[in-house]
Amino acid sequence: MKDIMTFLLISVFGISTYAQEISGKVIDNNGNPLPGAEITVDGKSNYAVTDFDGAFTIIAQKNDVLNIRYLGFVTQQYTVTDEKNITITLEEDTTLLDEVVVIGFGTQKKTDVTGAVSSVKSEDLMKQPAVNATQSIQGKLSGVNIVNTNAPGSTPNITIRGAGTAFAGSDILYIVDGIQVNGISNINPADIETIDVLKDAASASIYGMNAANGVIIITTKKGKTDKAQISLESYYGTKSILNAVKMANASQYVQYFNERQAAEGSTDFLSANQPYDTDWYDAVTNIGFSNSNNISISGASKNLKYFFSFNNYNEEGLLDNQEYNRNTIRANNSTKLFNDKLSVSSNLSASFIKSTPKPFSAFDDAYRQAPVVPVRYENGAFGQPYWNADTGIATYVDNTGILNSTGNPVQSVYFTNEVDKTVDLQGAFQAELEITDYLKATSRFAATKSYGKSRVFNDILGKYLADPTHTLQDFEDLKALSPENTSYAYNSLYYSNSESFRYNWDSFLTFNKVINEKHSLNAIVGITKGMKNDVYSLSGTAYEVPEKEQYWSINFNSGDYPTVANNSFTTPITQLSYFARLQYNYDSKYYAQVNFRRDGVSTFKNQSDEITDSKYFGNFPSFSLGWTISNENFFKNVNSINFLKLRGGWGRLGNSDVPFNIATYITSSGSSNTNYVFGAALPAPIRPISWEITKETNVGLDFAMFNSRLSGNLNYYSRKTPNLILLVNPIESEGSGSTYYDHGANVSNKGFELELNWKDYINENLSYSIGGTFSTNKNRVNNVINGYDGQTGGSLGNGQITKRLEAGQPLYAWWMYEAEGVWQTQDEIDSNASISGASPGHLRYKDQNNDGIIDDRDKKFFGSYLPTFNYGINLGLNYKNFDFVVEAFGSGGNKVYNGLKGTRINGGENIAADVFNDRWTGPGSTNKHPGADRDSYASSYYLEDGDYLRINNITLGYTLQNIDFVSRMRVYATAQNPFIFTKYSGFTPELIGTASGSAGIELSAYPNTKTFLFGVNIEL
Amino acid sequence: MKNQFIKIYFFAVTLIIVTSCSEDFLDVDSKDRIEQEDSDVVTPEMMVNGVYGKLTDWDYAFSYLGITEIISDNADKGSSPSDTGADKDLLDNLEHSSTSGSIDDMWTNWYSAINRATTSIDYTQNYGLTDNDYKNRLIGEAKFLRALNYFWLVRSFGDVPLQHVDFTTRAPKEDVYEFIEQDLLDAIDVLPLKSEYDAADLGRATKGAAQGLLAKVYLYEEKWQQAFDMTTNIINSGEYDLYPNYAELWRASQENGIESLFEVQARGETIAHGVQQYSQTQGARGTTGWGWGFNTPSQNLIDAFDAENDEIRKNATIIFPGETLWDGRYVSEAVENSAYNEKAYSSANAGDSDGDKNVRILRYAEILLIRAEAAIHIGEDAATPLNLVRSRVNLPSIENPSLEDIWNERRLELAFEHDRWFDLIRTGQAASAMAADGKTFVVGKHELFPIPNDQLNQTPNMTQNPNW
Repeated sequence: MKDIMTFLLISVFGISTYAQEISGKVIDNNGNPLPGAEITVDGKSNYAVTDFDGAFTIIAQKNDVLNIRYLGFVTQQYTVTDEKNITITLEEDTTLLDEVVVIGFGTQKKTDVTGAVSSVKSEDLMKQPAVNATQSIQGKLSGVNIVNTNAPGSTPNITIRGAGTAFAGSDILYIVDGIQVNGISNINPADIETIDVLKDAASASIYGMNAANGVIIITTKKGKTDKAQISLESYYGTKSILNAVKMANASQYVQYFNERQAAEGSTDFLSANQPYDTDWYDAVTNIGFSNSNNISISGASKNLKYFFSFNNYNEEGLLDNQEYNRNTIRANNSTKLFNDKLSVSSNLSASFIKSTPKPFSAFDDAYRQAPVVPVRYENGAFGQPYWNADTGIATYVDNTGILNSTGNPVQSVYFTNEVDKTVDLQGAFQAELEITDYLKATSRFAATKSYGKSRVFNDILGKYLADPTHTLQDFEDLKALSPENTSYAYNSLYYSNSESFRYNWDSFLTFNKVINEKHSLNAIVGITKGMKNDVYSLSGTAYEVPEKEQYWSINFNSGDYPTVANNSFTTPITQLSYFARLQYNYDSKYYAQVNFRRDGVSTFKNQSDEITDSKYFGNFPSFSLGWTISNENFFKNVNSINFLKLRGGWGRLGNSDVPFNIATYITSSGSSNTNYVFGAALPAPIRPISWEITKETNVGLDFAMFNSRLSGNLNYYSRKTPNLILLVNPIESEGSGSTYYDHGANVSNKGFELELNWKDYINENLSYSIGGTFSTNKNRVNNVINGYDGQTGGSLGNGQITKRLEAGQPLYAWWMYEAEGVWQTQDEIDSNASISGASPGHLRYKDQNNDGIIDDRDKKFFGSYLPTFNYGINLGLNYKNFDFVVEAFGSGGNKVYNGLKGTRINGGENIAADVFNDRWTGPGSTNKHPGADRDSYASSYYLEDGDYLRINNITLGYTLQNIDFVSRMRVYATAQNPFIFTKYSGFTPELIGTASGSAGIELSAYPNTKTFLFGVNIEL
Repeated sequence: MKNQFIKIYFFAVTLIIVTSCSEDFLDVDSKDRIEQEDSDVVTPEMMVNGVYGKLTDWDYAFSYLGITEIISDNADKGSSPSDTGADKDLLDNLEHSSTSGSIDDMWTNWYSAINRATTSIDYTQNYGLTDNDYKNRLIGEAKFLRALNYFWLVRSFGDVPLQHVDFTTRAPKEDVYEFIEQDLLDAIDVLPLKSEYDAADLGRATKGAAQGLLAKVYLYEEKWQQAFDMTTNIINSGEYDLYPNYAELWRASQENGIESLFEVQARGETIAHGVQQYSQTQGARGTTGWGWGFNTPSQNLIDAFDAENDEIRKNATIIFPGETLWDGRYVSEAVENSAYNEKAYSSANAGDSDGDKNVRILRYAEILLIRAEAAIHIGEDAATPLNLVRSRVNLPSIENPSLEDIWNERRLELAFEHDRWFDLIRTGQAASAMAADGKTFVVGKHELFPIPNDQLNQTPNMTQNPNW
């Protein structure tokens, strides 16, 4: 092969007088040959690749410059001399190996990590612009399940390695530049340098009692280069519903409605000729626009690093006037003093958010409202579900009743008048003193002050008059009848103000030394104290203020109704913690790490930990070990594997964000069962609650192969929360008065995570990368305390529940009747077990225990709303100045409940077109779908596979360099969420909520949206 | 080197000062709720009162009627035909099921009362009361109430969970009875006689009440000798007698009177409100009436009175349309039903939700009938106690009474006192009596109520009663 290549090359270039054949060998520092290294000649198309022995041959002239490239090594240039046989020794690219991850109170070389830490860099974040950085990392990290909602300004729901809590806080711990914060909705994604996720307990235990749900560490940008760098980033986008459900039109609705009327024995029917045919989704949703403008200035000099940025972000939602606007300012500066011994830095940021929220229930109403009802009648009044049973026309004139009890969604959006404003001021100051070359002392203080303001104007009279059958006189009559009832005030105005404050003060010593060149030792010991949850709020409501917005002040109320003021404080939570970490490695081969944190939290006043028997304190130890096999001598000859590391660890975490039972006595001054002739009081059950504990074992493997083209990692984890807190609906035979919290079960999460990345550099014009993540999760509840089994959840709001907690099942697994076909005839119903009220066309439910009765004993478990696997795929291609990215995210193995389809309140609601088309219309028509007359029991009929694959992002960019004063300019077009592949019949299978509540149920859910963006990034 | 040491020392000192590691830092005062030590003091007596309070729950004014009287041959559902009273129509027709709300309500209520009783006993024991008699009395009251609720449970459901053992597993009914007996024996030891209570405390559980309940419990256990002996104790206490006028027995004037062993107290005002709406749900229905008209006396019961020529008790027990009541209230002919329960009638409060009707739980006449029934089984004198009860209402004496005589006497004497259904089952008359009332009593099933559905959902391993 080599000979043929040489021959060809000689044939082509042989005519050149000065051309000569150069042979050579490419080796690494240890003399090992590097196969597959690329050799190009500057300014020429000559090209060669080394063979298995690292050898190559190339045609070049004297003084030509050869570029020798090899992934994972520093590219070397070699100027051709008369020497025809050369040996090139490539240096390992230590910047790659020196890539660091942030691990809490310090950083660590990526190759030295013994826990499970995943990272995302700024470049990857910026490929998918979003208001909240966590939206951009969906699918990029294994084991991190992100459920996005596309509502303006919304925060995604993040679960790291499965659901480990049901009623305690499930929020991730966010650490921004070393400080604990409430969330990152105030952070401009463009300011973020890296996001590091501490997934396993061995890594996260340095944050002890706050870390059970995982830790996301965000590091913001700093100045880097000598030259001041100015970048400008702008994009502009439009968004619309991604996966709209086609609803029945007026004539389909009329037929469906009439079939139901007939089945119920009514003789009132809708006429086939209706004046209106409304597409409610079309009426209630718009195309939303969004845009973001960002400017940052950064740079560095000998003693100073600076970074300033400003971002303005605007987004419109799908609903009318649903807007979100955010301005953020950031200044990250640091300076070095006293011969660089002392480094002082400050990170300051301010964010100003203004939003006008609109009710998500409008999406439900748009689904349910009949298409025969107009958005507005000719006279301008809002359409209402009235109809006249004599003429069969949907009209308010001479109406005889209503078709359904659903509101007009356009009306509800129109009358929702709320403005929310939030200001977050965040600052961190840090001083780092180099005491010796191996010992450093760091102290930092960080605080967040937040202000929230909300104004709600409720036009009560306007809402009343929106119904054309109402008159002003009616309202005045009602008002006269109940002069004190605020339901008949013309309007109400509500203001609320809240302030909150939190701070952290960390002080720690860092010891870092390599002894005898082999023993590398790193240790920290420190103390941190902090306070959070210090919230003050004041709100007031007044009635009948002037109509003009300029006079919307509580003081301008009519005086006819009392003004209401509310004020509350929360009890601040203080925390005092001691922590230490010891990291050791021998010759970059054998690694050991031990973490210890002792955490005290003020809320556990009366609690005690079984181990320490202390009032407030819990201990959270962890350890991990690693072995870099590829650094062993016996591995030196394995050329195809460049890096191989085995690691494992164990750790203990806590969740201190737990709900408490209120220790009070119930008394009543009215007539109730708590009092008696002799007077009375009685106790409420008080059960001591402690922090939830999570213990986790993690084993993993990191590797890089084929000249580091292929890299990846594999993890297995097993985490257990042995003392899960449940909200116990008291067992009837236990006789406790009201619900209470108690530790009552354990929950386990187990799974595999795989990340793979393939990068290849084909030539200087073309390179590509393929990446993928895949994670599995198996969630199980076990050892439920006898009697706490059977807590139900997943209410549909119509008296039906869909979930149940039971040992051996996932946390709050689906539990309902199993639909098995449709009743065809009354005879069939009479001769089989049926639920009371069954009638032909209704769903037939399986008599699981064959006792001839359909009751709760016949309900069955149907898996979980929690995906059992999820995956991400990323493709990148660079060709000349073009860059092209496709990213996809998918999850599955779970079920979701189509609550929109499955909750009909009084039967006159609209249906999806496919529900209409598939319906049962008489004996023998179908045994799968119910007829127009159907019951509203929760059943497996409405439970669907939640699997989906969504193309997250398709981006095409073009980069220009060094044009006049512009050093780099990139223009790009992005399609976010352009496609979704799912069998689910609703709008979105991504449904956030609490485990015992709405998670996995589509009700009042914001639909997924697709966004098309055009943007430009300029660096000056 | 020394310089370095000073730097480290200096830094360490600063570090300790700025982050003083005192636990005081974690001692944060509550700002969002009033701390327990700042709340009003709750005395053990208040806790025990809360157990009594459970007896005044709305459940006793509606659900309880369903599972004690409406279900039996004494009463019909009442109200309007279209008004099901949630599930009272089903109970009336013996079509009730494990999802019947009335059954679930009482199951839940009784267990809730038991929980309160146990909590108040613990609270009283640990509170630090120095007056031992007072402390023991309070504990005795709570034990009496706990026993009462367990008794109601065991006779309704058979095997039931004992809360202190395991509230998810049904204990054999023998164990439940044993626990009830022990509570009552403890209560008898410490509770004062009725006459030893201050006037303000009249209505609290007494030694006599505990003895009376224990006699009834023995009757259900068919421990005839013990039942008989226990009635002897009550009679010998000299605290009780029959009140001569049966009709007056149900009026406010005879509340806590000579015949009363235990009754639910009511004053017709807030806090002393009595069983919530008890008189209202059973009051005459219609525009001229004052109540909802549930739990109406059946023709079967009227026939039973008439067969015995028992005019006094019939008229004291039943309100007939067109009748003028003792307090002068005229009951219109236009009321919706043909008969109403007069024992639930409150003269002062009529259909108010807060009534003054003391609901009688145990009275001396029943003690005499328990004695008579036990006496037959052990060959003692049954005629004397039986005829005391009969002679009060001017009925002729029975020389050699049979069990049937006594059972019939119980029915007429204790009609609408929430015992009939359990008497029918206890005495094995249920199938024939219900057939006579036109209902089908399924032998082997209807003897016990089904364990409620909601309970079984929570504790799936709990067994259901036979054939439910």
